[in-house]
Amino acid sequence: MSSCCCGSPSLPASASSRRLRRAPAVKFRPAAVRCSLSDPFVLEIAEKLEDSLSVAPRAAPAPPSLQRLRDASSQSLLSRSWPSLKDEPFRFTDTSFLRQSRILPASGPSIDLPPFAAGSASPHLLAVVDGLVVPSLSRFSSLPQGVCVGGVSDAPSGPVSERVLEVLALGDAFQGRDLFWDINGAGAPDLAVVYVPSGVRMVEEPLVVRFVSLESADAGSNSLFVSNPRMVVVVEKGAEVAIVEEHLGAEGSDGKCYWANSVMEIVVGEGAKVFHSYVQQQSSNAAHIKWTFTRQESSSTYELIEISTGARLSRHNLHIQQMGPDTTTELSSFHISQTNQTHDLHSKLVLDHPRGYSRQLHKCIVTHSSGHSVFDGNIKVNRYAQQTDAGQLTRSLLLAPRATVNVKPNLQIIADDVKCSHGAAISDLEEDQLFYFRARGIDSETARDALIFSFGAEVLARLPFEPIRKKVASHIRDLLAAKKP
Amino acid sequence: MAMAVRAPLVRTFLLSPTSSSPSPSRPLGAPATCSVVRTRRGISSSRRLPLRANCRPLPTRAAVAVDSPGTGSREAESDSPNVLLEVTDLTAVVAESKQEVLRGINLTIREGEVHAIMGKNGSGKSTFSKVLVGHPDYEVTGGSVIFKGENLLDMDPEERSHAGLFMSFQSPVEIPGVSNIDFLQMAFNSRRKKQGLPELSPIEFFGFLDPKLSAVNMDPKFLNRNVNEGFSGGEKKRNEILQLAVLEADLAILDEIDSGLDVDALQDVAKAVNGLLTPKNSVLMITHYRRLLDYIKPTFIHIMDYGSIIKTGDISLAEQLEKQGYRAISAA
Ligand SMILES: Nc1ncnc2c1ncn2[C@@H]1O[C@H](COP(=O)(O)OP(=O)(O)OP(=O)(O)O)[C@@H](O)[C@H]1O
Ligand SMILES: [Mg+2]
Repeated sequence: MSSCCCGSPSLPASASSRRLRRAPAVKFRPAAVRCSLSDPFVLEIAEKLEDSLSVAPRAAPAPPSLQRLRDASSQSLLSRSWPSLKDEPFRFTDTSFLRQSRILPASGPSIDLPPFAAGSASPHLLAVVDGLVVPSLSRFSSLPQGVCVGGVSDAPSGPVSERVLEVLALGDAFQGRDLFWDINGAGAPDLAVVYVPSGVRMVEEPLVVRFVSLESADAGSNSLFVSNPRMVVVVEKGAEVAIVEEHLGAEGSDGKCYWANSVMEIVVGEGAKVFHSYVQQQSSNAAHIKWTFTRQESSSTYELIEISTGARLSRHNLHIQQMGPDTTTELSSFHISQTNQTHDLHSKLVLDHPRGYSRQLHKCIVTHSSGHSVFDGNIKVNRYAQQTDAGQLTRSLLLAPRATVNVKPNLQIIADDVKCSHGAAISDLEEDQLFYFRARGIDSETARDALIFSFGAEVLARLPFEPIRKKVASHIRDLLAAKKP
Repeated sequence: MAMAVRAPLVRTFLLSPTSSSPSPSRPLGAPATCSVVRTRRGISSSRRLPLRANCRPLPTRAAVAVDSPGTGSREAESDSPNVLLEVTDLTAVVAESKQEVLRGINLTIREGEVHAIMGKNGSGKSTFSKVLVGHPDYEVTGGSVIFKGENLLDMDPEERSHAGLFMSFQSPVEIPGVSNIDFLQMAFNSRRKKQGLPELSPIEFFGFLDPKLSAVNMDPKFLNRNVNEGFSGGEKKRNEILQLAVLEADLAILDEIDSGLDVDALQDVAKAVNGLLTPKNSVLMITHYRRLLDYIKPTFIHIMDYGSIIKTGDISLAEQLEKQGYRAISAA
């Protein structure tokens, strides 16, 4: 039950791979040509976003970098259309309920915010509410010297602001971006910035970035508030940072409808290390669409651990671009799809330089017949990426009749001196393992629970911070216990 | 290439209820009833001694395979130790293929006895032990199994464990994501719960576990590793014995506990097993080698062939086996 396309030294996809590297300054998107007619639904969203930003409570003139982002994104939106199941990237992921909703831009948090951001496992906390950085809910007091965290309007001019501009320009030139990326840019009320200067270490106590969706509607009301959190992370040469990205609804909002549409851009400088944990626990009726776009300079390390359990529709678009040789990239993700939930990871790792090392592990559990998990993981080993060592593994656990997964692990290898492996497995619980428990006196229900939990434990164990690991583990135990058929 | 997969309907495995139908026909050459040796009265007095004692009265050859089951004479021997396990005409098939593997097994184990089963590869030794603990791969098609006076075949695998039956697997499975100590504690507390006793907290449990660890000479670092994951063959076996020590079973079935063990490990494991033996509990071990029998002295040795026990005797049977191989046995 596995699908494979690895090991062959050359694939015809090589020609198109070039385009990724040096994008022309003028935007050229083949996809856009095909559907250059504007999509009225998309235009309507664009207009609403523009209107809301001009009347927002903090409508002080946006800093030039943010304004430029909004303008470029609005421009780009003109030629975008809403994806359908006919479009390859959304072949298995149905976004039609968004399209059928009345989409309303979240208006941004008011002054008297509930203290939901209290209690964090780390002294470094950046709170972003409906896309706006909220300093009063954040804690920056013990950041290491030189580290900048906050909204772009508070970023010091000079190298920090310049780097942010650079990163945004690179994102603008990124050919892989889609409608949701552009909606984010057009509607971003703020720009959260994390800047770690060269040589600085911030690993033992991570920076927790808490994205909260506050404005929401009742299920069934057909209104859907959208927020567009945007974040730029720059980690300079030799620096090391641990970031824990959390996505939550406001307290007591479970079952509420909203749409969080976020984009995070990360630059990992030469020899730098980024340990990125991403925990998605949105309300069970929310839509969560997120981009992570990471560029890795030579000899850098990027580790991403994703645990997604929330939202009705959760889509993670992950793009990692290798900018120099000797990079290390480790990606682990774990999804639990329960009643009416779809979890989708679309990842792409592009290796253009020698001696890259990468590992990807994707695991998902679908517990209900209406649950659905999608994985499309592409690893591209281009011509100059000799001596690359790339591995990819996906495992799915289907616990109900008619539970569905669509997995498409794929390696495209153009270089000829590489070590690559991948595999996919889909299963029910192992009978032999279940029996082992029972033979030791543990009843089958307890055994099943333990085995289901243990399936995800492999990814969970990689979360680098114990308090967060414990919190996430107990959340997962509760979820699995609550939704027993 | 994409793949879309839907889950199959969740499978459930059920053991068929004990059937009272007569056992199917036996292969030519096998005794009509292969029942176990009746112990002699004289044995019972020495049984209070440690089982490792060298000079234990042994059943005579003449006593082998003479009784048919159901003669009713057993209960009459009131001063012999209680029967722990009584297997009568047990037949079983592979659940999926219905291929017959056990073809009429008869075996009686009393408290304090050590039994060994030897036999060619594929003769059904592991299947027999797995059927006893209720493995869903097999379906019992005939015969009965009484354990401590109760019908074992009516019980779920976990109930069999709670009743005091333990089997160490020939090839224990790996359970990634579940730590050894969590597993042990789960198993231990399940039994406590069943007995109506309060569960032990992790700290109390560790206190209970510590001496057991030393008994099997196991490094505590194995507690934090996932169950059997990446364990060497010998480490897995040692881990099975640790589980046995924690669960304090009345009847321990040890399926090739000696395979893959180095000399030191074999001694450790044998010492641990001997340490667990009391006049009240028993061991059924499956082995290919006499070496283990030098460490854990058996009261009886059974030879299994083609799904049934074809011969029962004392340690001399193992000696004969070592010299002449199975051909001599089946020819006898
Ligand atoms: N689950 C199963 N599916 C198919 N065949 C089986 C299954 N279990 C046992 N068998 C078959 O039944 C026979 C007995 O197997 P078993 O494992 O009991 O032998 P054994 O005596 O323990 O051998 P060994 O000494 O090699 O461990 C073999 O022919 C085996 O292939
Ligand atoms: Mg065997």
